Amino acid sequence: MKAVGARLPRYDGVAHVTGQTQYVDDIRVRGTLWTKALRSPHANAAIKRLDTSKAEALSGVYAIVTHKDVPHNVYGHLEALGIPADEPLLAVDEVRYKGQPIAAVAAVDEDTAREAVDLIEIEYEERAAFFDIRKAMDPDWPNIHQWGPVYPHFGSYNHRRVRKGDIDAAFERADTIVEGVYRPQAIEHCPIEPQTALVVPEANGRLTIYSCTQAMYFSMGVVAAHLQWPLNKLKFVGGTVGGGFGGKVDTASETISALLALKAKRPVKWRWTREEEFLVSSTRAPWHMELADAVTSDGWILGRRMTTLHDAGAYARFSPYGVTKHAFHHTGAYTIPNVHFDGFVVFSNRVPTTAMRGFGVTSVSFAVETHMNRIAEVLGIDPLQLRLKNANRIGDTTPNRVVLKDPSTVPVVLAAADRVGYDLPAEYKSMTNARRSGDLLPEHLVAQLGEPEHSSNGGGR
Amino acid sequence: MPATSLAEAQVIAPTSREEAVGAFGDGSGVTVLGGGTILMPEMNYGRLRPERVLLLQNAGLSGIARNGGSLTIGAMTTVAELEQAPEPLGTAARNVADHEIRAQATLGGNLCAPSGGATPRGDLQAALIALGAQVKTAGKGGERTEPIEDFVAAPDGRLLLEVEFEEPQRSGYAAAHRPHAHAYTILAVCAAETTAGLRVGLSGAGRNGLRARSVEDALAVGASAEEASQKVLDDAQMQDDALASAWYRQRLLPILVQRALDDLGGGK
Amino acid sequence: MRLTVNGEQHDLHSPPLTSLLTALREELDITSPKAGCHQGGCGACTVLVDGEARRSCLLPLAAVDGAAITTLEGLGAADDLSNVQAAFDEHYAAQCGFCTSGFIMAATALIDRTPKASREEILAGLSGHVCRCTGYIKIVSAVEAAVGSPA
Repeated sequence: MKAVGARLPRYDGVAHVTGQTQYVDDIRVRGTLWTKALRSPHANAAIKRLDTSKAEALSGVYAIVTHKDVPHNVYGHLEALGIPADEPLLAVDEVRYKGQPIAAVAAVDEDTAREAVDLIEIEYEERAAFFDIRKAMDPDWPNIHQWGPVYPHFGSYNHRRVRKGDIDAAFERADTIVEGVYRPQAIEHCPIEPQTALVVPEANGRLTIYSCTQAMYFSMGVVAAHLQWPLNKLKFVGGTVGGGFGGKVDTASETISALLALKAKRPVKWRWTREEEFLVSSTRAPWHMELADAVTSDGWILGRRMTTLHDAGAYARFSPYGVTKHAFHHTGAYTIPNVHFDGFVVFSNRVPTTAMRGFGVTSVSFAVETHMNRIAEVLGIDPLQLRLKNANRIGDTTPNRVVLKDPSTVPVVLAAADRVGYDLPAEYKSMTNARRSGDLLPEHLVAQLGEPEHSSNGGGR
Repeated sequence: MPATSLAEAQVIAPTSREEAVGAFGDGSGVTVLGGGTILMPEMNYGRLRPERVLLLQNAGLSGIARNGGSLTIGAMTTVAELEQAPEPLGTAARNVADHEIRAQATLGGNLCAPSGGATPRGDLQAALIALGAQVKTAGKGGERTEPIEDFVAAPDGRLLLEVEFEEPQRSGYAAAHRPHAHAYTILAVCAAETTAGLRVGLSGAGRNGLRARSVEDALAVGASAEEASQKVLDDAQMQDDALASAWYRQRLLPILVQRALDDLGGGK
Repeated sequence: MRLTVNGEQHDLHSPPLTSLLTALREELDITSPKAGCHQGGCGACTVLVDGEARRSCLLPLAAVDGAAITTLEGLGAADDLSNVQAAFDEHYAAQCGFCTSGFIMAATALIDRTPKASREEILAGLSGHVCRCTGYIKIVSAVEAAVGSPA
C-alpha cells in the first residue's frame, strides 16, 4: 500500500501541461469531413415531409443520413439489461424534444455542412409540448411516449416500489407527521470538451471510432446494435475524456458519425457546438419528491411514505436505473423501519435526462437531508442529535433489506460537528456505529435488525 | 444572395480616421469590427457571413485625451484602458467580463453592439449616460455629435469615432453582482453630477442603455433619494432574458437607483 | 497573412476572418488551444499574442497579422517545463486536462504582468477560465506556487 497517502505524480500530468494529450478533436486524419445535424426546432411535432435532395446536390456534400439509413434505428440504452427499446437514433415521423436529430450531413467543411442542413426541406405539424411532470397523471396529459405517461417496465409495475415493515401502523403510532416537497432542477454537465466523435473507415472493412465516451464498451455495443455489426468490426479508441461527469455515458455522436463515414466512404468528424451541448445534450434530471414522515416527539422516525417523479424527458435512456438507485437510498443515511416508496419515470418533452455524479442519489440526498432539518425544526430538536439518533448502525437494514456491516453515518456526523466546532452532549459525542442496544434499540427498531455476518451486503452501486 | 463563406468577405483595414470614414461611407453593407468579442462568436457559429468588414484596429481611433476637465475617448479604446477612467466609468469597465476580454473589447463595440436577444449588452452605457457624454459619429450626411442616450437607441448607419464628457464632481454606482465573470450586467445604475447637473443612467433596464429622466426630475424638485428611486420604473423598458426576468429587475432596479444615489461621493 | 508561432514563421492561407483558434488548430495542426465554446466563454483557447493572453477564438486572423503567438507547445517541453507548467503538474491542477492549456497560458501572462500576484489577483486574473472538474483550488494553489518560485 505504498500509494495510500502518498503524493504520486499523475500518469498523464506532464502530457496535460505540455499540450501533448490528444483528445478526439486533436486527432488528424487526412480528408476528414465535418458534420452538422438537422435538429428539431420544436419540442413536440409530427414530421409531415422530409426531403434531402437539394442538400445532397450541394457541392461539397458527401453524405446525408436519415432514419432510412439506420439498419436498426430504434434502440434502448438499457436493452442489454432486458429493458425494451424506445428511442430512434434519427427521428422518423415525429420529434419529442427540441434539438432531436432528424438528419445529419457530412461535408467538406462546417460551412458547407451547415448550408446543406439549411437546404433540407422539412415540414412539421407542431403539437402542444408538456413539461410539468406533476401533471403527468392528469387525464389531459397526452401520450408523449408510445408507452404512455410513465415508464411501465418495473417488473409487473409501472413504477419502482419499495415496501418494508408496516407503514400504516407507523403512521397510527406517530405523534407528528412531517411533510415536505423537494424539487431539485436539471443541471447541464457542461464538460469543457464538447461531444466529439471521429470515425475512420478502414481498408479492411472495419471502422475505427475515436470517441469521447465515458463508457467505451457500452458505446461499442450501442454502435454495433444500430449498425447490426459484430463487435469485432469496430475498433474503439478512447479513454481521454475532456470532462464527462455522467454526460458522456449516453452514446451521442459516434453512431451518426459512423453511418456518415460508411456512406461517404471518408473519415467523418462530428464536434458539437457549445450551444448544442447546452441545448441538446442530456442533463441531470429535474426531480419531484414528496415525503411524509411519521415521527415521535422524542425524535424517532417510525415510517416514511415517499413518492418520486423523475423527469426522463422524451425517452427512457438510463432513467429506470437512476430511479432504482434513488429508491434504494430513499432513507438516506438513516434507519427507518417502515417505508412505502413509489418512484415514477415520467416522460415529458424536455431533452432526455441522464446520469450525473451520483445518478439518482444526489436528488434523494438533497430531499432527505433537507427533510431531516425540517423534522428537527418541527420537533424543536437539535438537527445533529436527530441525525445521530436515527443514524444507520451495524445490523440495521436498508429499505431494500441490505444488512449494514459498516455504516459511516455516526462517525461522519461527529467529525463534521467537530470540524465546525458544534457542541454536542456527551452521550452523543460518545456514540459509535455499534449494533443497536439499550436506548438506541427502541421497540419499533427491533424487528428491522439483521445479522451482518450472514448478510450479503450489496456494496457500491 | 448573402455570403455563405467567410472567404467571400472583403476585409478593409483603414490606417487613418479619414480612411475609415471614407470606407464606411453611409454604412450600407459594412460590418464594423472593433475588438471582435461580439462579432467573432457570430462568425464562428456561421450566423454572420459579412460582405464587407471594416477592421478598425489601425485606424487611429484609440486613446484617451484630456483637455482641462474634459475627456475625449476614441471608439477603439479598449475596455481595459477604461478601467482607470473617471468614475463611474472606471467601475463599469472593471465589471466587464475578465481581463482577456477587457483587453480586446472596445468602447465602440460596447456602444454599438445590438442587444444580444438573450441578454442586454453595453455595460458601459449607464456610466456614459450618467456622465452626459456626447458621441461623435460619421455616416450619411457627414459627422454628427449627439447625446449618448440618443445614439445608443439607434446606432445603425453610424461609425462611432469618439466620446467626450466632462469629469464629474460626484459619482455613484450600483449593480446586481454577477456570480461569474462572463455574463453581461444584469442591471447597473450610474449617477454622476457635472456642471450640467445630476444624471442617472441605466444598463440592463431595456434593450440599450437608458437615461432615468424621471429620477432626475424628481431629484431636481427636491425629492429624497428614496422617493426619486421609485420613479425609475417610468423610464425602464424591462424584458425577460437569459440573465433575469423583468419581474426580478422591476423589484431590483429602484433599490439599485437608491444605492447609486447614496453612493454619490466626490469625483475621481 | 504571416504569423510567428512558437518562434517559427508561417504563411497562412485561411480566410482573414477565420479565428486564430481555427487557423492554429486546422491549418497549423497546433492543437493545445482547445475549442471549448468558440465564443470567448470558457478560456480553453487562450494563447499569448505578442506576450499577452488572448482568447484565440475571438481574434480574426486579419487582426493578428504579423504577431508572435505562443501556445502551450511553445512554453516548455516535457524535460524543460516552465515554472507554471511544473506547478500545474505538481499541484494536480490538471484533471481531465482540457482547460489546462488556457489556464497555463493565462497564468503565464498574469505572472508576467504581475510577478508578485496575490491570491486575489490570481482569482481575478483567471476568473474568465472555466474548469468543470472543479479543480479551481488546485489551480490557484499551482499559480500561487509558480508566483513564489524563482523564474
